Amino acid sequence: MKELAITGAIDADLAAAFEASPNPYMLLTPELRYAGMNSAYLAAVGARREDLLGRPLFEVFDAGPTDQGRENARQLRASFERVLRENRRDHLALIRYALPATGPDGETTFEERFWSATHTPIHDADGRIAYILQHTTDITELEQLRRRVAGADRKRAINAILSGNVLQRAEHVQEANRQLETERNRLLDMFMQAPGFVAVLSGPDHVFQMHNAAYAQLIGHRDIAGKPVREALPEVVGQAYIELLDSVYATGEPHEGRASRVELQRSPDAPLETVWLDFIYQPIRDDSGGVIGIFVQGHDVTGTVLAAERQKLMIDELNHRVKNTLATVQSIAMQTARSHEDPRSFAESFQARLLALSHTHDLLTRSHWEGADLRAILEHETAAHGPHRISLVGPPVALEPSPALSFGMIFHELATNAAKYGALSAPDGQVFVDWAVSDLTKPVLHLTWRERGGPPAATPTRKGFGSRLIERNVRHDLAGTVELDYADAGFCAEFSVPLDRGRVS
Amino acid sequence: MSEALAGRRILVVEDESLVAMLLETILEDMGCTPVGPAATVDDGLALATDGERLDAALLDVNVAGRQVFPVAEILQRNGVPFVFSTGYGEGGLPDQWRGHPTIQKPFTEAAVRDALMKAMGVAEV
Repeated sequence: MKELAITGAIDADLAAAFEASPNPYMLLTPELRYAGMNSAYLAAVGARREDLLGRPLFEVFDAGPTDQGRENARQLRASFERVLRENRRDHLALIRYALPATGPDGETTFEERFWSATHTPIHDADGRIAYILQHTTDITELEQLRRRVAGADRKRAINAILSGNVLQRAEHVQEANRQLETERNRLLDMFMQAPGFVAVLSGPDHVFQMHNAAYAQLIGHRDIAGKPVREALPEVVGQAYIELLDSVYATGEPHEGRASRVELQRSPDAPLETVWLDFIYQPIRDDSGGVIGIFVQGHDVTGTVLAAERQKLMIDELNHRVKNTLATVQSIAMQTARSHEDPRSFAESFQARLLALSHTHDLLTRSHWEGADLRAILEHETAAHGPHRISLVGPPVALEPSPALSFGMIFHELATNAAKYGALSAPDGQVFVDWAVSDLTKPVLHLTWRERGGPPAATPTRKGFGSRLIERNVRHDLAGTVELDYADAGFCAEFSVPLDRGRVS
Repeated sequence: MSEALAGRRILVVEDESLVAMLLETILEDMGCTPVGPAATVDDGLALATDGERLDAALLDVNVAGRQVFPVAEILQRNGVPFVFSTGYGEGGLPDQWRGHPTIQKPFTEAAVRDALMKAMGVAEV
């Protein structure tokens, strides 16, 4: 059947010529089983036709137990695979391949042989590979001769006989090919595993030839192989990238993109995602210098771009806060100066207010400017007057930064006033601060500052900066109300401040 | 010292009471009558449209997390001159308002006066 296939594939004269040729020939199926061979081949390998036909080549010819044997078998198999994959002739200039033989005591031994082989694809009527034709030359004697004389004086003469180092050259080429193949596989691995994205496009329509894992990840693992960019990534049409590819293809000039924005479909049915890419489009040229494709390489810099944007926002916000704080300090200085004629008392008062502001900043910094607890602010601003003289009773209340700063200033003014004129100016005076939060759906803080045990409070004849600051701050910054009561029993302030006032709407 | 601004009614939009108090003090020293101050954009809009006479306005750009530009648009439509005050640098203003008289925080009395006069087209006398 297999022999019929040969005669069917080539005409009878040719089959006769094949059989009569002194050169060893054999045919393999694409599965690497013997399909046919001529007498020269049978003679060369010392086997009978019926023992070979239909059997796998690598079962018949075991490569032997050595590493060298396995390496040779691998080279032979790789050559067949190249023929099948690339559909063209492949040469093995020199291959060491042991043949099993029967030893003097009937045991199996391996006899080392050197071969030169050409593997040619034979096509069927449909153009598919039906067989691989192997044309082998047994060059064992030549090779052994060369090896025996290596180093000897006769070397040059013998080498001359052997057509000027042909074998050595062949061996070098063979070794170079093997190294190139290893290198190629290593490069391919690197290409596939590279952290940056890589793709190879061919032709004027930019058809995806290959792309690596990072590229697949970038475009949501879509099936793009063999498709033009326009079809493979329809969302990029109109985003100027196809025009860029056209231009690189037409002019042969590479294009480099820096933090270039692109909208990509990264998962099916999801909205387009914005990514920023650093990339280069590099023309690929053929031997005559014409552009035949484009090499795409780059990496996703979205994280960096977003971080830079966040940083700019943060710097703007920081600048805004610093300038606002400076304006606040400027205001405190100006208002304080108007109520203090003596420079020393101005400095004392101004510094105390500055420190109150600074204390609240400290508290806020500890929470990364998320906010501060009401009690902590009260403790900070009243600590200097002795904790046993101040009673603080109320639940935890988290204040956002802006109201926290307001309350810091307010409690500072109240405590300073109490120490100068109120309960804390008398040895047994005390301050009771009680608070509660009402209406949890729309929370309002009710806080009472009540002084007892000091001199009777008297309504000031002229409103000082302290009381103006309190009233204005509560009404303006906190959108709340405050009642200041100057009673004989002692000063009392009652605050109502909404807590969920959205500062940002 | 200019008397050109004496008696003018100046709307103040500024969310921080201490800064607003500073502006009021500066305006009063110049003989102006401060209107407001408004602590929010909504309060600013209410004061800008309540029919009371306004000669000019000082507008903080970032008011309690909102931008003041809706107030600026109404004032511009009504022909009321105004000055922006901002803690952001030059880049703090969008293109539409770039080049408009602006004072940077913290500000001096002279800066407030000059910017107001520039906005109102009043020559120093």
